[in-house]
Amino acid sequence: MTYNELTRRHFETAAHAGTLTGPGVRRGVAGSRAMGTWVQFDVRWRSGATPLTLDAVRFLAFGCPHVIAVADWIAEHAVAAVLPGRTGLPASLPELKERFAVPTEKVGRLLIIEDAWIAAISPPSPGETNGNA
Amino acid sequence: MAACLTREGAFGNPGSLSHDYGDAAHAAVEAARAQVAAAVGALPEDVVWTSGATEANNLALFGIAHYYRSLGRHIVTLRTEHKAVLDPCRELERRGWRVTYLDPGRTGVLNPTQLGEALQADSVLVSVMHVNNEIGVVQDLAAIAAVCAAHGRVRLHVDGAQSIGKAALDFTSLGIDLLSLSAHKAYGPKGVGALLVSRRRGVQLTALQFGGGQERSLRSGTVPTHQVVGMGAALALAAAEWPAEVPHIARLRDRLWEGLTALGGVLRNGDPAHSVAHLLNVSFADVEGESLLAAVRPFIAVSTGSACASAVQEPSYVLRALGRDERLAESSLRFSLGRFSTAADVDAALLAVERALKRLRRIGGAR
Repeated sequence: MTYNELTRRHFETAAHAGTLTGPGVRRGVAGSRAMGTWVQFDVRWRSGATPLTLDAVRFLAFGCPHVIAVADWIAEHAVAAVLPGRTGLPASLPELKERFAVPTEKVGRLLIIEDAWIAAISPPSPGETNGNA
Repeated sequence: MAACLTREGAFGNPGSLSHDYGDAAHAAVEAARAQVAAAVGALPEDVVWTSGATEANNLALFGIAHYYRSLGRHIVTLRTEHKAVLDPCRELERRGWRVTYLDPGRTGVLNPTQLGEALQADSVLVSVMHVNNEIGVVQDLAAIAAVCAAHGRVRLHVDGAQSIGKAALDFTSLGIDLLSLSAHKAYGPKGVGALLVSRRRGVQLTALQFGGGQERSLRSGTVPTHQVVGMGAALALAAAEWPAEVPHIARLRDRLWEGLTALGGVLRNGDPAHSVAHLLNVSFADVEGESLLAAVRPFIAVSTGSACASAVQEPSYVLRALGRDERLAESSLRFSLGRFSTAADVDAALLAVERALKRLRRIGGAR
């Protein structure tokens, strides 16, 4: 398996790997290690910002280099950005597939990343004030 | 070997005995044939040159199956065999033969009793790999041959592609009917191998290709002089030097294993008590296989336990047959040690694996 330069760079550095704790941190998780792909995002919203933007994002991922690289790229590009679209991803899945040259057979893994991301940025449930992390 | 490609060397056709050039090439081919035979305790006339072990395996399986088809259509092999045996078996099944695939269990070592129970009245062939290419496990050929002898008419084919220079193998005294060999597994050239067909045991085969009648009419086609000369030299060298090499390689293997165990969450695949020194197959817990390979690849050349015929890797069927779960089968690395390996190489491999494991386990949130 060969990887493009963007994939290699984010896989090798994974600068945004880690977790966040504290007030206002929300966590989204999807996939399973047993099935080969598991992704977790921790996000912290910027307090009082309009429109809503993220102050910090960290991820953990058990998966192939494409999964780690895409999760790292999302964590980097979601901070301070106005998150567009239905999913709130800083790039659509087709865009991510193209940028990282993700093989078609691995598109299901991108969907797991998307699920974890949507779970992390979804609004808190009624009565939830301090996030879910 | 290179001299066979020049006008001053044995450039003639070894099958053209009407001139001196052909005679010289023929002599070189026969000298190589004697070297290959001597390396495994066979007769020179047992040796049939092929393009490698894959062709040798195909010739053995199809050749025996077709020649002895009036005696029966049942074949026994192992689930952990190389694809060069398993795929021909699948094809024979499509053509009406029955194949029993034995499961060697967690150790990877076949229990001869299991083989005896699998043999049927119409069994015509047992095909067993001597040294497994993925896990290095060595099968007990003497015990397997004894079971075949007790059956009476089943022929024993051994895939010995990994054996030369790694484990003792005596074709004649073990009572093997057919033996597949490859040159490049013993530092020889790629693209050449041999099938040894025992003359003493009166083994007969149906040929798979026709046109010229070379190699006792079992493998028609001009013999590539330079290739077989290279194979002869490589096997002669390996046979002479392997007893002295093994202790050194075993020490390196032990150094590697001790270093890996210190990293935690590592599992050795195959029975260490029945394995060659040259190969160490290890599964790593809490890390994804493709990422592990990608992380160590810039620093060391290892093979993974996965087959990557497509973009999505598949876990090794050999490790799955040993009972490893899908994740551990995927996250395995096969370390090969050889004549030129050094302690510094082992230490560099250990450092690369340690760094990769720590980083990927951290990214993966392993506790």
